[in-house]
This record gives sequence, structure tokens and C-alpha cells, in this order.
Amino acid sequence: MTTLTVSDFSFSYNNPEQPELAHINWTPTPGSFNLLIGPSGSGKSTLLKAMAGLLPHFGGQILTGEIRLDDYIVDTVMPFERAKRIAMLFQNPNRQFAMPTPAEQITFALENIQLPASEITDRVTTSLEALNITGLANQKIITLSGGEKQKVALATVLALGSDYILLDEPFANVDPAARLELLQLLKQLQVQHQKTIILADHDLSGYTNLVDAIYQINPENHQLSQTDASVLIADAVGPHTFKTKAYQTLSPLKLIQVGLSVEKRTLLKPSDLQLPKAQLGLLSGANGMGKSTLFAAISHQTDYTGTIMWDAQDSQKFKIKQWAQRIGLIFQDAIDQFVDLTVAEELALSKKHTLLPDYWTEARIQSALSQLNLADFKNANLYQLSGGQQKKVQVLSMLMMGQPIFLLDEPLAGLDHVSVQAMLTLIKQTLTDNGLSALMISHQRNGLDDFIDYEWHLSNQEITQEVPE
Amino acid sequence: MTLNPSVMLIIILEIGLPMAFTQSLAGNLAVCFIAFCYLMVNRASLKTISFVMLISLPLAFGTGWSFIAFGTGDVWHQAFLQVSRLFAYIFLGMTLTLTTQVRDILLSFINHLHLSPTFAYGLFAAFNLLPRIQRQVKTIRYSANLRGITYHLWQPQLYFKAILSALQWSDDLAQGMASHGFSEGADRTITYHDNLPKWQWGLAIILIASYLILSLLT
Amino acid sequence: MQTVQQNKAHWSLRDVIFLAIIAIFFGIIYQVWGYMYYALAATPLKPFANDLTLGVWIMAGPMAGVLLKKVGASFLGELLAATVEMLLFSSWGASTLLSGSIQGLGSELGFTATGYKNWDKLGIALSVVTSTIVTFAWDLFSNGYLHYQPMMIIGLFLIRLVSIGFFAGILVYWIKQLLDRTGLIK
Repeated sequence: MTTLTVSDFSFSYNNPEQPELAHINWTPTPGSFNLLIGPSGSGKSTLLKAMAGLLPHFGGQILTGEIRLDDYIVDTVMPFERAKRIAMLFQNPNRQFAMPTPAEQITFALENIQLPASEITDRVTTSLEALNITGLANQKIITLSGGEKQKVALATVLALGSDYILLDEPFANVDPAARLELLQLLKQLQVQHQKTIILADHDLSGYTNLVDAIYQINPENHQLSQTDASVLIADAVGPHTFKTKAYQTLSPLKLIQVGLSVEKRTLLKPSDLQLPKAQLGLLSGANGMGKSTLFAAISHQTDYTGTIMWDAQDSQKFKIKQWAQRIGLIFQDAIDQFVDLTVAEELALSKKHTLLPDYWTEARIQSALSQLNLADFKNANLYQLSGGQQKKVQVLSMLMMGQPIFLLDEPLAGLDHVSVQAMLTLIKQTLTDNGLSALMISHQRNGLDDFIDYEWHLSNQEITQEVPE
Repeated sequence: MTLNPSVMLIIILEIGLPMAFTQSLAGNLAVCFIAFCYLMVNRASLKTISFVMLISLPLAFGTGWSFIAFGTGDVWHQAFLQVSRLFAYIFLGMTLTLTTQVRDILLSFINHLHLSPTFAYGLFAAFNLLPRIQRQVKTIRYSANLRGITYHLWQPQLYFKAILSALQWSDDLAQGMASHGFSEGADRTITYHDNLPKWQWGLAIILIASYLILSLLT
Repeated sequence: MQTVQQNKAHWSLRDVIFLAIIAIFFGIIYQVWGYMYYALAATPLKPFANDLTLGVWIMAGPMAGVLLKKVGASFLGELLAATVEMLLFSSWGASTLLSGSIQGLGSELGFTATGYKNWDKLGIALSVVTSTIVTFAWDLFSNGYLHYQPMMIIGLFLIRLVSIGFFAGILVYWIKQLLDRTGLIK
């Protein structure tokens, strides 16, 4: 049996002074199901990639220690040898497939490990059957749902025969039903095929009675420690609810019978919606339900059915450039939002083009920077900042633009508690001072009580509004 | 009768290269005619062919006219020659792109022209991202609009942001492929077997030689 | 178990995908230019339209050179861009691949002239000169430029030099500067 051993492993991508991982020791018990937790940016993904032998080949440097696959340093083993023992499922399922269809993808993987041609067809069939996705064999992967894509990835891993299956936040685009099904499949692989599962997730529900061991990376010192099941969220506990407030005045943005679908899957049945002014709303709903797609539709980045109105005008009458001055979309990925190179340049650009020139004075910008703990980073390179700092600069630069409607897609991801409070205070302040509207997607619900005015919940292709009459 | 993409490529290059230097109207027309017959035999869509012809008409017109306006010597002959060459290149190109799939072309090149699997699968994996890359260009331009500016094609920003995305995506994709066992320079099982009977090479030699003889004689 | 032989000089899978994705990005961005070219190309000014926009088609070559700093990077970058162009965007096929090789050769020679030591201003500038000369020589035959009046030939050459100088020279250099400042490209 293969064993994977991490000993005294320290690693950094850029700056050896601030390692992503520090002195990690870990030998996962063969045949066990392990959960790896820790906030975003704590190094979970780095640890998994290093264990999969992808680092430092794909960037960074080892500072101390080593990771061994039996007697070999894992990153020196040829990928085709490694894949038979360790395989990885990535967070973004869109960029892990080389081939257009599941059958071709699995065939490609089996060709890589030099399985005799005569065995390949059978192995493709059995692995697709094992995950109940035979029907998807020849469909375009790009048209599959997030959950189906991860099943294809899992089928590939099963076909390769890897003993270790490492999964890096595999449910980011997977709806809850599919997530539960995938977790059951993983359990089955562990029990029936003696696979060792190591799964990184920030959502701690659904793991009770499933995992054998839980490990966490401390975001402060980047060390790994084992923890007990008390951190898991019991499945019976319902979601945290907010004290919602009634809508005061309504914004000019109105959705009339707006419906959404991707690749023939309906995400939202025709719905009527209108955002209130000067209030912060939470758009909740499980992964893969279409929250980001709704934002994309409102900002004219994707097609929809029905009509989106701005006062009495059809929004399609606006050119994209004009529409971008009304709807401010804050992307999930901060880097996609940046247009300049340093914090100062980025903010100067917003100041130059802001719709609220009287509000965003130099003094206010300074105080916002201090509030977000960015005052010392004014001349820093945006691309060298931590993920959390990038997020803060991104949101500030967009708040400074002052569009009447803000759509914020996961603005709190990767932020610690203090930063979350500071960010929400700033957002709320900007909204109330200027009568702007904002709707925010956030998977995190804790620590939001003082800020959320109303909640829209997207599930079963409908939006329910949690708001007092 | 469909020729193997590898044979097609050799024919296209070996006729296309000398075609740039020859001055044979008959040669160019013969290329157009034979290529058209090949397209018909392989049931290429007449609609697509007509569409390609239609959009290249203005270009042909511009080409011809420019020689009549600015040429030296027998300007009409030169104009016809250059226009026929333009169409010969277009027909030559269509014989490959309208009768085969990208995947079959790349896999055929691995099997018969020693294209390295790293190049073939790297290219193919990147092609599969096409819809997402198209969307990303839209996102990049939109991100500028959100900040009250527009990226122009003569400014570096649009290209710069595109390259940053390419950097991230190529990293992810290469890691995904490595994790599925793809090893640069290592042997792989080959399950794709395409037909390349010897006579096709013979036919290629005959076609290339006929073209050369025809264009030298006329 | 077989282990990896480290070989930094060869073309890694990541390099190939990187250049291919850049080529696709550029291909999509070029489509916008295509319309401008098309408007001019239906008139006797077509050769001028050709030469005025040529720099845009050639950008991928020197860009690949300065990004990867490898022998053959410019040539392969341009050839990949042409392959992408052929397979995804146009039915010009044969001539795209041929002109792509010629253009790649042209931009590669500039970096060769520095002994592959300079991937900065000098290398880019030389690459502008060599690609102008090489592609122009090709068009003298393939596009029949030889048969234009001498003044017109000189004019076309100068326009091409300006176009390549701006897009494959200055613009590439600006992009490189931005990328350098991010610190993401090693």
C-alpha cells in the first residue's frame, strides 16, 4: 500500500518571510476520510497541491522538509506514475479537463498512464457506471452542471486507480443535493475501494459521521493541527436568521418576469423583483443555484428572459457603458476588477470618474483606507497584496464609483472577522449617506446581524423575500 | 474519398509555398477547381463555401483594383493572377478546415507527422476554453466600463489583462492535466488510429508535381 | 517509479497552453480589427490596409518572446497564433499558416541578432526591423507587391514599418512594462 508522508514541510509562493505553510507534519492514515479546514487564504489549497506533487513545479519554493510518496520525493515522480497513486480534484472544475467530453477525458487520462489500449474502453465504461454518469459519456463537459463536472473528475480519478484522492474546495459550484451525493460517493470509494480521501472545505455541514479525522490550518502561524468533531455543524441546525427591516423607498431598478437559465437548466422562473434604496440586502441560496447568474443578468453580462426596467425605460436601451454607470458589479475575483497597478493608482482612477465627486473627498478616502487597515499599503502593488487586501481595495474602488445599484458577489470571502466588520460598516455608510442600493452574495452569515436589512433567498428556481410586511 | 489531415497539410503547404512565387493563372485556377471538387466529394456545406466566397469578394475586388490602379506592366493580367491566387489560397484552406475536426487534425499530426503530444494536447486543451476566453474578453472590457473608462485596441491594458488571465488559466489547466497523469515527453498509449494508406502519399506527390509542372509550363 | 528529469530549456505543457490561450485572446481581440481591415480592403487601398494592420497580426510573436525568453519562442508564438487563427477563426488556412511561419521567422530573427540575450528594448526594436524586412520580402512575391509602382512599394514598406513598429514594438513594450510591474512573470 502506498503512503504519503509530509514531514516538517514549509512552503512559500513569493515571500519566504511569510510562508503559506509552516512545518507541517502529517501522515494521513491510509484508507481514511480526512477533512481539512481553515479560512480562505490559510494555505489549504497549497498543502493539497504540494501533496499532489504539483509544487514547486508550478511555482513557489520549499523552505523546509519534504513530502514523500513511499520512498520518493513526491514532486520528482513522473506525473503518469503519480496519477496512479494520487489524484486531485480542483476548485474550478472548468479548468481541469483537457478534452471536450467525459469519455474522451477519461480515455486521455488512461492513455497517459499507459494502460494497454485493449483495457481502456472497459475501464472508461466501468468508471462512468460507478458514478452513475454513463448518460453523460459523450456530452460536452462545458454544458454540464458543477456537480456533474466534479463527478466526471471523480470518475477519471477512479479510472486512474489513485489511492489518494485530494479535493480542493470541490463544491464551490455544486448545488446542495449534488454535494450530498458526491460526499456519499466519496464515502463509498473510501469504504469499498480503500481510498484515502483528503477534502478541503469551508462549509462544515454534512460531515458528521462521515469523516474519520479533521485537520485545520491555523491562519496565523500556518501550522496544521488535528481537531475534533465539535467544529462540525450539526445538520439539524437551521441557518442563522436576520432581523429584517421593511423596504423604505424603492430603487429605479425593476425586474419584470425575469427568468434565467443556463444550458437548458432553469435557474430562475419568471419573477418580479425590485431593490429597495439605501438598504443592504443579502442574496442567499446554495452553490450552483444561480445567484451569480442573476447578477450577470442584471448587469447585462448574460442573457435573460423578461424585462429589466430602469424607471420607465427598458434597460436594453442603455449602451453597456451607460449601464455600467448605473449597476456596479463587484466581481467574485478581485483581479478581474483591477484596471491599474497600485492601490493609489486604482483609487485615483475611481476618484477621477466617480459619480459622487463631492462625497469622495481626499479626507474620506484616507479615512476609508485607515478603516480597512490599508493606509500603509497605498503604494503597494495590487498583484502582490494578500487575497483579503485585494478584496478590500476592490470593494473600495467600486464603492468610490458610486453607482446607484451595487451587486456584490462574495465581497467577504477570505476576510477575517475584523475586516468583515470594517468592510460592511463602510458599505453601509456609503449606501445610507448617498441613498444607494446594494445586494450582496455571501456564503458567510455570521457577524452580519448589524448590517443586513433584508434577505432574498434563491432556491427551487424562486426567490423568496425575507422581509417584514 | 477523404484524405488524412496529415496528407492534406503537406499538400496545402507544398502547393501553397510555391504558389506565392509562381505566375501561373492556369495553376491557380486548377487548384481552385480540384479543391472545389474535393469539397463537393466530401459533402462540405455549399452554404459555408458560398458564404466564404461572398465575404472574400470585396477583398478580391480590392486586390484586383489595386493592381489596375497602382500596377506596372500588364496590369490586367497581374490583377487576374493575384485575384486567382487569393481564391486558390482560400480553397486550399477550406479543403482542410471544412472537412475535418480540430481533434482529428491534431491527433493525425501526432500519429503521422511526429507532432509532440505536449503541443497537440496543450493546444487542444486551450481550444476547449474558447467560450470562456470569449467571455473573459467581455469581462475585461466591462471592468473598464465599470470604472468609467474604455479600453482601446491601441492601449496596452486590454492585452495586459488578457495575458494575466492566460497566465492563471494555463497554470490551472496544466496542473489539471498533470494530475491526470499527462507527462511531458513520456510514452502514452495511442487509442486513436486513423487510416493513412500509402496511396494517399502517392496522390499527394502526384498532385504537388502536377501543380509544379503546370505552373512552370504556363 | 520513474522520476522527472529537470529540463528548463524545453517547452513545458504550461508554456504551450499559455501561448495558445494568449493566441486565442489575441485572435478574439483581432476580430475587432478585422472589421476595420475589411472596410478598407474592398478598395484599391487594400495593400495599404494590409500593411497598416500587419503589426497587429504580428504582435503575438515578440510578445511570446519577451514573456518566455526562450530560443524559438517568437517563432512558435506566432505559429501558434496562426494555427489558432486557422483552426478557430478563419478559413484562410494554408496562407495563414504560411504567413504565420514567415512572420514568426521575422520576429524571431531580431532576438537571434542579440544572441538571445536581450528581451528588452533592443531585442524588440531589432525584431521590428527583421519582421518588417522578412514579411515584406515575402509579400513582394506572395502578394505580388513586386508588380506595383516603385514609389508605391516604398510607401507600403514605410507604412508596414510604422505599423509593426507601433504594434509589435511600442505596444508590446508597454504591455511588457505593465506585466513586469505586477511581478507575476518570472
